[in-house]
Amino acid sequence: MIRSAIERPRRRQVTRLAPRLVACAGVVALLIVLANADGAMSAIQGAFARVTGGILSLFGETVTVDGNTVQTGRFGISVVTACTGLFLTGLFSIAVIAFPTGLRSKLVGIGIGAGGLFVLNVVRLVSLYYVGVHLPGWLDTVHLLVWQSGLIVLAIALWLLWAGTQGRRHREATR
Amino acid sequence: MRPKLARTVVRFVVIFAVVLCALAVGWPHVAPAYTTAVATLARPVLRAVEAPNVTVLDARGDELGVYRIVGENRIAPVVVFDRYLFFAVVLLVALFAATPGLGVRRRVARTVAGLGLLLVLHVAYLVASVELVYAVAAGRAVGGWQVAVRVLWEAAPILIWVVLTAGAWKRVLAASRAEGIEGSESPIAGPIGAEG
Repeated sequence: MIRSAIERPRRRQVTRLAPRLVACAGVVALLIVLANADGAMSAIQGAFARVTGGILSLFGETVTVDGNTVQTGRFGISVVTACTGLFLTGLFSIAVIAFPTGLRSKLVGIGIGAGGLFVLNVVRLVSLYYVGVHLPGWLDTVHLLVWQSGLIVLAIALWLLWAGTQGRRHREATR
Repeated sequence: MRPKLARTVVRFVVIFAVVLCALAVGWPHVAPAYTTAVATLARPVLRAVEAPNVTVLDARGDELGVYRIVGENRIAPVVVFDRYLFFAVVLLVALFAATPGLGVRRRVARTVAGLGLLLVLHVAYLVASVELVYAVAAGRAVGGWQVAVRVLWEAAPILIWVVLTAGAWKRVLAASRAEGIEGSESPIAGPIGAEG
């Protein structure tokens, strides 16, 4: 009797945790499948290249976008899988799924993360173009150190702000 | 959004950026020693997983050359890893430095533990990626494994940091919730002068 009373909350915890773990594993599997699907990756890389090219055009550059390559007379950038922010978006989604909130909050969180990281990534690509044009000696440092670390910490900040808001709402909703 | 949480997050981002910039300046001086350490630890692991052992690691400054023995006294280049391969060390230290709510001793202890874990993961990454390059050259389909290893390499500093600082962040989020409760829950306290 006592044992069953102790075990009940534990069982409830496991029951609550299991779908989240399955969903996290699903995101990891999706990431691996997506990164290996050449067609899907080309489409994502092409989308980033087109958006980046469009923004550079707004800044007065004469841009040619060919597949995943953005080229001007001054400099060119290629958007490869690592440049799409796919892995970081996946990690962000896993962090959102793992956090104890309702489904709606999670969907909002994933939307905020995917949207926010997409925008940040486009800013990164545009800035890298200008670094390549004006400070080519700094390109590797800005590309691989500054932006890589910057995106990670901004993703963490975004998650913390989301978790701080959604955790409270969830508590209120489940009270 | 709770102001206290927003302040904490902004402070976290600013400290992270400052520490990252400071450490990035020093990284070129530390990178050769770290690269040598990874290569030294990876050699016996490669000897253990390869039969016969065909890989030669050559740490030159902050670059790591990987070669394959292709005949008597002959080696062929496989891949050269650049100085940015292990930059996660700096990232991890900056994350620990910026984490709120850790005392000095706890912060140092966790940073050291985190760096130890990261070193192990970097050795594992190096060995796995070299073996996967061989597998691809042999015509085996290992694309999924390559992606998985790449994701792990990218996520390693974040995962280590999350595991070692989850308690501190739980306290920060709990304090933020308490602030929210103070600010909104009591119908009496609210109008009189609650914060939030």
